Amino acid sequence: MADDPARPLGSEAIRLLQSIALRGEVARRLESESARAVLHSIVEATVALFEAEAASIALYDAASDQLVFEVAAGEQGQGVIGVAIRPDQGIAGYVYTTGQALALSDVATDPRFGRSVAERTAYVPRSIVAVPLVDDHGTIGVLEVLDKRSQAAFSLRDIELAGVFARQAAVAIRASRVERDLGSLLGATLRDLADSTGPISDAAIDELVDAGTARLGRDDDSRLWELVEQVARIRGSSPDRLELVADLLGAIARQADRDSRARRRARPGPTARATDR
Amino acid sequence: MTDPYLPAWSEPFVGERRSRLERLVPIAGMDREGAFGGSTGAGVTVAIVDSGVERDHPAIGGKLVRSVRVEPGEDEPVVVEDPDAVDVVGHGTACAGIIHGLAPDAEIVSVRVLGPDNRGKGTIFAAGLEWAIAQGASVINLSLSSKSEALFGVFHEIVDQAYFANVLLVSAANNVPGPSYPSLFASVVSVAAHDVADPWTWYYNPSPPVEFGAYGVDVEVAWKDGGRIIATGNSFAAPHIAGLAALIRAKHPGATPFEVKTILATVANGARPGG
Repeated sequence: MADDPARPLGSEAIRLLQSIALRGEVARRLESESARAVLHSIVEATVALFEAEAASIALYDAASDQLVFEVAAGEQGQGVIGVAIRPDQGIAGYVYTTGQALALSDVATDPRFGRSVAERTAYVPRSIVAVPLVDDHGTIGVLEVLDKRSQAAFSLRDIELAGVFARQAAVAIRASRVERDLGSLLGATLRDLADSTGPISDAAIDELVDAGTARLGRDDDSRLWELVEQVARIRGSSPDRLELVADLLGAIARQADRDSRARRRARPGPTARATDR
Repeated sequence: MTDPYLPAWSEPFVGERRSRLERLVPIAGMDREGAFGGSTGAGVTVAIVDSGVERDHPAIGGKLVRSVRVEPGEDEPVVVEDPDAVDVVGHGTACAGIIHGLAPDAEIVSVRVLGPDNRGKGTIFAAGLEWAIAQGASVINLSLSSKSEALFGVFHEIVDQAYFANVLLVSAANNVPGPSYPSLFASVVSVAAHDVADPWTWYYNPSPPVEFGAYGVDVEVAWKDGGRIIATGNSFAAPHIAGLAALIRAKHPGATPFEVKTILATVANGARPGG
């Protein structure tokens, strides 16, 4: 295919990209739900195991550069959901930035700490254990456990156990994130490929990715399960096959660049960018 | 450490397992009186690489002599003076308070590597540590670590720099699975927590990587804005060993890092001379 530059690949390229983007979107939708379910089950299990009043998970959001509390278990914990803090702020911030687990008790007796938390969550814990969510690639957030019912404070063993829970959570979250950013992943991959195969402009790549994702049906569940299977198959592909896909994308990218240059020449003026990202 | 998912660095130092740390040490004639009797840490500088230290906190006793922070810089991190001496969390002040409690005349230098500009990045941490070594601190307390595999080589080099520059690094072990630097390097004094409520009780564990256990469970520590809090973690065990090391270095200015480590092991709880 790449050996025959004369062959018009433009429309095929767009179709292929649309198909990839649709698969990614389906995966994202499914997996963000399943990732949330995993997070929920982890905080629920944490509350049960530690006999705690509440447990919560805060994840780092690169787009807003904040730590955002995504899920919580326990009646007292619900107020924290959606709270966003700077990644170096407070207990969660310290644990996130240093990767160092920490337990504090008599928290409520310190008015400075208590007030700042209570203002946002309407709940001031007596004791708290916070452990980083770490996987093989780094720290992605923080798991917090609040107020052990049976004891006034958390033990070292509690910290270690919370660390084990956090490890499982981190692995699950990372797995779901790989697919979530497929649009940007596609763009980055194309850029990488373009760098190694010859000059192609950023604008052309953006246009290509936008074209691939623009007509993505938001409500189209008709081919859902078929696509899920395809995604599963793609993920299980051998390195050779993935390399083939990469080669294919390289050829598409080069062709699309030629197409878009041709289009720009034929149609002056700014092109409306159809994107929902 | 039977379960690979459980680091459990504190386990040897807790409960009845502590009795296994009773050992005969191959050095006679050294006891706690000889190790640091009469020492107050005078003449020794302890650097705290952390979230900053509050200069006016009562637990510090006015011993904070210098405060700097690391900024990202354009090309590489730069160290700048931090005259306001703020602690963005309370954690660095907690460590400083523990050290001051044990070695009241030791001078404290704060190297803040956390803050709005730097997010506690590994490279910032490394730059702060390197600066403290270059300043010739006698002891550096590291109650934080980096989990970045990419910085393995960087930290390895810095830790060797410290060792060859006669600087003792005391680092909290990380109770989370996976590697953490520099706490797991051989020349670093790596510390986990025990639950005996006594700052003068510490143990030596002859099974590395974590060789020392110190008080780190339900410790009342100094915290942000002049406050105090009860805290648990290896973070609070490390400054206990750092404080003891400051006492030893003040009494034995000629002792090198490995000699200080040896003295700490020799006079640890459960260690008896004559092995």
